[in-house]
Amino acid sequence: MNKKKEWSKKLLYVVLITYAVITLVPFVWALSSSFKTFAEISSGVMSFIPNEFTFENYRQIFIEEELFFRWLLNSVAIAGGGTALNLIFNSMAGYALARISFPGKKIWFMLILAVIMIPVQVTMIPNYLILKELGWLNSYQGMIVPAMINATFIFMMRQFFINFPKELEEAASLDGLGRFGMFIRVVLPLAKPALAAQAIFVFMGFWNDFMRPLIIMTDAEMYTLTVGLNSFKGQYVTYWNYIMAASMVFTLPVLVIYMFFNKFFMKGMSFTADK
Amino acid sequence: MKRKAWVFWSALMFLLLVAAGCSGNDGTTSGDGGGESEDGTTELTLAGWASSPEEEKLLNTQLEEFEEENPDITVKHEAIADQYMDVIKTRLVGGEGPDVFYLDAVEAPSLIETGVLEPLNSYVDDEFDAGDFEDTLIEAFKDEEGETYGFPKGYSTLGLFYNKEMLDEAGVDVPTNWEELEEAAIELTTEDTVGLGVAPQMARLQFIGESRSGDMVEDDMAAFGSEEVVQGLQPLVDLRTEEEAAAAPSEMGSESTGEMLGQGRAAMVMEGNWNVPYFEETFPEMDYGVAEIPEMNGTQGTMAYTVSYVMNQASDKKEAAWKLISYLTGKEGMKTWTETGIELPARQSVAEELGFEDDELRGPLVTGAEYATTWSDGPNLPTIYNNFDNEFLSAFLGEKSLEDALETGEKVANDEIGD
Amino acid sequence: MERAETSSTSKVKERKKKQRNNKRLLRDIIQGYGFMLPTILVLLTFILGPVLYAVFLSFFDVTLLGGTVLDFTGVDNYLRLMDDARAQRALLNTGLYVGIVVPVQTFLALFLAATLNAGLKGEKIFRIIYFLPTLTSSAVLTLIFMWMYNQNGLINNMLETVNLPTYNWIGDPNIALYSIMIMNIWATAPLFMVIYLAALQGVPKNLYEAAELDGANVIQRFWYITVPQLRPITSFVVIMGLIGTFQLFDQSYIFSGGSGGPSNSTLTVVLLIYQYAFKSLGTMGYATAIAFMLALIILVASILQRVLSKEEQFN
Repeated sequence: MNKKKEWSKKLLYVVLITYAVITLVPFVWALSSSFKTFAEISSGVMSFIPNEFTFENYRQIFIEEELFFRWLLNSVAIAGGGTALNLIFNSMAGYALARISFPGKKIWFMLILAVIMIPVQVTMIPNYLILKELGWLNSYQGMIVPAMINATFIFMMRQFFINFPKELEEAASLDGLGRFGMFIRVVLPLAKPALAAQAIFVFMGFWNDFMRPLIIMTDAEMYTLTVGLNSFKGQYVTYWNYIMAASMVFTLPVLVIYMFFNKFFMKGMSFTADK
Repeated sequence: MKRKAWVFWSALMFLLLVAAGCSGNDGTTSGDGGGESEDGTTELTLAGWASSPEEEKLLNTQLEEFEEENPDITVKHEAIADQYMDVIKTRLVGGEGPDVFYLDAVEAPSLIETGVLEPLNSYVDDEFDAGDFEDTLIEAFKDEEGETYGFPKGYSTLGLFYNKEMLDEAGVDVPTNWEELEEAAIELTTEDTVGLGVAPQMARLQFIGESRSGDMVEDDMAAFGSEEVVQGLQPLVDLRTEEEAAAAPSEMGSESTGEMLGQGRAAMVMEGNWNVPYFEETFPEMDYGVAEIPEMNGTQGTMAYTVSYVMNQASDKKEAAWKLISYLTGKEGMKTWTETGIELPARQSVAEELGFEDDELRGPLVTGAEYATTWSDGPNLPTIYNNFDNEFLSAFLGEKSLEDALETGEKVANDEIGD
Repeated sequence: MERAETSSTSKVKERKKKQRNNKRLLRDIIQGYGFMLPTILVLLTFILGPVLYAVFLSFFDVTLLGGTVLDFTGVDNYLRLMDDARAQRALLNTGLYVGIVVPVQTFLALFLAATLNAGLKGEKIFRIIYFLPTLTSSAVLTLIFMWMYNQNGLINNMLETVNLPTYNWIGDPNIALYSIMIMNIWATAPLFMVIYLAALQGVPKNLYEAAELDGANVIQRFWYITVPQLRPITSFVVIMGLIGTFQLFDQSYIFSGGSGGPSNSTLTVVLLIYQYAFKSLGTMGYATAIAFMLALIILVASILQRVLSKEEQFN
């Protein structure tokens, strides 16, 4: 029995490691490319170790791009602010849809589901016109406010809250906590794993968002990192060396955030499915 | 609890109000905010796509020179990182378009049709000398009445770029007609190298498709399924499918035919002058030459690509905008722009002054301008070339006969255009 | 007398109950809409507004540039869909894509999450490595994959060394869509893995312990405890998968340079919408009409999923 267990464990590790290699290869290649010269990347010779190790690409990004730190600030402000608002608002809406019975609930839920299904390509221009009317073009709020809720994660939070034990809420309401107080004091703390997952996704969404800042932000000072660092694609020639370095630079912060929130998936407590 | 909720909601409303309040100030920074600012200077916005660091530097030099000459005008340059036309169109719809912007000839007819571009004939004076531009280039920016909507900042043409060493080794001369090209390509093909690198796109091949007096676009409709066009392109497809002496970049793991040449995966390619600085930077060791594209069916042909500066019809700083355009496309400005050879000068006088005709690498490209097909063909060209590219690739890779592929493509394109 | 009293007290009670119910209803309305307020505000202004505008446009021939020109055509845009060969091809491609990608990525995500939640050593590192594809923007990922897919690329080199046939991953119309599928499964499975990981923390440990005592093996425990316990989350993952895959755009755009080729083999519905909305003039209305048909299809698929999985209905 034990021996069998040992074997299956080993097999599991083999599978896990193989998958890890498949996942890592593209990134190792991208990382090594970010230290290559443009000539070496273009030469078409595939190698994981740069022939001629250079920091030039990073120098171009950090030093030659005078606005780099401004772009970083913009990205952090938009992604940070947007994520905070999303966490509160999505959870509130998800909670209401899962636990409070109010007239019109079904319709709102359907509506929220329905809007996820409409491709952004058709709402892009009307959205732009609305932002223009509000005078929110080229501003942080133009980026944050229209995206401060996210139908996907309202849906996700609803699915999480549906399994939430009723007893806890009842106990809390006996303690004299009102709905909102209970939501903040009892429900949210128990939803940490879901909130952590949401935080990562929403942050990533804002952080990697390209098309919206591209259209909304007109001043170079207001660009986000994705837009600012995408200027290495010429009409005819693409500068892979810079693109790879830039992609490394903007993947890193998200990775750090992921690692931070990751711990919540380890020691989460939360919803016991009461079925 | 009630109090808490109350505090929360009022905080939220406050936040929203603040957000709305702040915006009042920001809103006016873009294009529509009044002609002049308080200190009497006019701020123009100039939008273009992002490109190489060198091009960026050149443009900045130009703009500095311009601002020095015109102290009452400042220029704000917006480099749109990607999907340039989508962004520009969205901004134009919203009335927030830049005052002056780049426009590729291929997009020009459809934009002219919508009336968002300012007609420029009335601005042109003798000093500007509009007759100095190459006729074939400026044609794409005119409407039927002869009104001009943009002036080219420069142009590029295709030439035959070849690897000298490979040609020497194989003992092949630089081909001057299609038969010689075929022979040379077959001769030059080895295990790792094809004779001819081909970009399977209408933007690169239109002149070949039309070499047997066919017309790929007729009355703004797709016509590339015609017998003449098929005959024009068939030799190229045969070279790939029968002789296996030609290949597309994606087949060889390259991004462009230029890269194929640099990587030694193709011995000859049909490429543009932007490769000259690119090769210098990335493949400094390579010994290559440039020749005119070989004659096809007894006539010379190549493609020309051009980009103009155009003015937003909704701009309220048109005087200043014209000053900027006339500087950038004027003799002086164009000289600054084309001196290093990123683009070829669209003005004959500048071309003569810079003497590119005698340049070993650029000479054949400059000569090509006389007989080139300019990449622009009516407002429906984007739909037409989209369907061509889509189907031609299958034929080029031998998945379908060329005739079938082009017929299907033509039909679909015309269905899409409708009436 | 006694009876009368009881009946009157019960009446009072009933009235009180009714009052309480009314009060309760009112409270629920206030609370419900209070919690939903920010969502409703944003939804109405930034999503529903534009969507209604788009619905409106779908009944016109629209040129937005240079002063909006509207030309009422009724349902022509919707009828046009019927004999648009490219739209049918796009729908076929998209359907095939959804049909393969959604089940595979859902199962892979569940499998990865379950393994990484089993208390193995080094779990943390695996969780980080597996998540890398999701962190990187899809544009960069697609470019990396195109490099690996090309004919002399990494993947073909590897296949060659183990004597397997090589493919023209990007250029062959019969293969190109599958190339995108592989890439997308690889890139999105970790995203759903994280959601499963979060949900797995809520599955009571004692269920597993009890099952182990009953002699259930790992696979049985997975099928009979993990899978049913995660049903609401699976429902979410599948619906999100459906929406995401039905709206495939980035990858096929980059793969084909925006054309959907070779021979329309990578043309997806959203790519088609994009082409009509931005590439050709006067077809904005048609683009929105296709978009609504697509939304309808996704909606039907989602409802079907919910019915099939027998999940509690929208209550």
